[in-house]
Amino acid sequence: MQLKIVLPVVLTLLAQRMLGLPGMPSWTAEVLLPVVWIVAAALLQKERGWPYHALVLGLAWDVLFEPVIGPGGIAWSAACLVLYALAGFVADRSPKMWAGFGAVGAAIVTLVHSAALIPLGLPFSLTLGHWVRMVIFTGLWCGLVGATLRLDLPSQWRTYRSRKLR
Amino acid sequence: MTAFRPTTMLTILLWLVLEVVAAWQVRTPDGAPLLATWIRSMAQPVIWSAHEIGHLIVDVGLGTTDLQRVVADNRSLRLDVERLSSRNLLLEEDLAALRDAAGLTSNNIGFSNGAVLARCTFRDVAAGSMEVRTASRVNLPRDTPAITGGGLVGRVVRSEGSRHWLQLITHGAAAAAVQTPDGAVQGLVVGTGGETLTVAYVPRQAMLEKGQVLVTSGGDGIFPPGIAAATVVHVRETESPFLEIGAVPTADIRSTRIVVLLPLWSAAGDGETE
Repeated sequence: MQLKIVLPVVLTLLAQRMLGLPGMPSWTAEVLLPVVWIVAAALLQKERGWPYHALVLGLAWDVLFEPVIGPGGIAWSAACLVLYALAGFVADRSPKMWAGFGAVGAAIVTLVHSAALIPLGLPFSLTLGHWVRMVIFTGLWCGLVGATLRLDLPSQWRTYRSRKLR
Repeated sequence: MTAFRPTTMLTILLWLVLEVVAAWQVRTPDGAPLLATWIRSMAQPVIWSAHEIGHLIVDVGLGTTDLQRVVADNRSLRLDVERLSSRNLLLEEDLAALRDAAGLTSNNIGFSNGAVLARCTFRDVAAGSMEVRTASRVNLPRDTPAITGGGLVGRVVRSEGSRHWLQLITHGAAAAAVQTPDGAVQGLVVGTGGETLTVAYVPRQAMLEKGQVLVTSGGDGIFPPGIAAATVVHVRETESPFLEIGAVPTADIRSTRIVVLLPLWSAAGDGETE
């Protein structure tokens, strides 16, 4: 099961890299596409253990987007732990909740990542406006994914196919 | 308060490891890994503390050694002080003896031929005895007179080499023939066994006053004449034909340090020096 989601995660990371290519609008790089995976883990999993997958996701993020490997693992695992804790209090699994969790996850990832860079003496350019946009866009992205899952397209496709066969 | 769960500890440990891994990747301006700077910073207080503790131990050791040396020096200084105090006492004793010897210059008899100087080494006034020592071995005949600058002390009763024993005039069995300096009154000074003397055989009509000094008359054949022997302290008439006279020795027997021995005045008449 876990191997089935590795490819989509990798594709997500590659898509994130493409969003930052020259020529793309500047706001596209402010959408954190992989956040949807930790939101999905928090909202869809019945049993939530320690988020090792979030740690690996964060390290992969560092490999692709950061100058040093390590702070990403801290930031993404911290965000996943917080979302796990919130999911225990929230029963709603609507697209709005996906959007909210996405916004919280993005906020924590960026803040913790910036904090983890402080001891290293590396500069980070996290302005308030950049941070707010990142949170909103990522929340919208996760809400879109949640709405798409709510549509249950495979089931509708099967229904459509069965109606056509009749 | 909730317990600190192992999961939380594991999380923190993992995050610390990731931060250390990141620090290993970051380079400082001089090219060294940032992690080396962290390690150096963490080790610096430990190294400094160890260095200072080492210095402290060395200083304590040196201080202990110095303290021991000071204690030893103090001990030796105390011994030196005691030694010097003893020497000072001896010097004071010698000085007093020199003063006594200087007092003897006023007595011509003291420095006549054959006179022997002796130093008092022991006295028992209550027993009426005194031990004196001469610088060389001298064979003193019995009854050799002994005088000081103050007057008559006694006579030799025993002589062995350089050690000689005197019978003080205060001895209960001692006696000396005395008279007033003008020779008008004569008597016999007798020891009482204490610190006072009794002047016996002085007629009732004799004129004696308190404070009168009595000198040896030579009538006993032991002591040469003219040596101050006693000072009258009280005179009382009794029913006997003689006065009851009390006296004290003119010589300070208690503090005398130097005595002159006159062997030529003894009954044997010859003092031999070995």
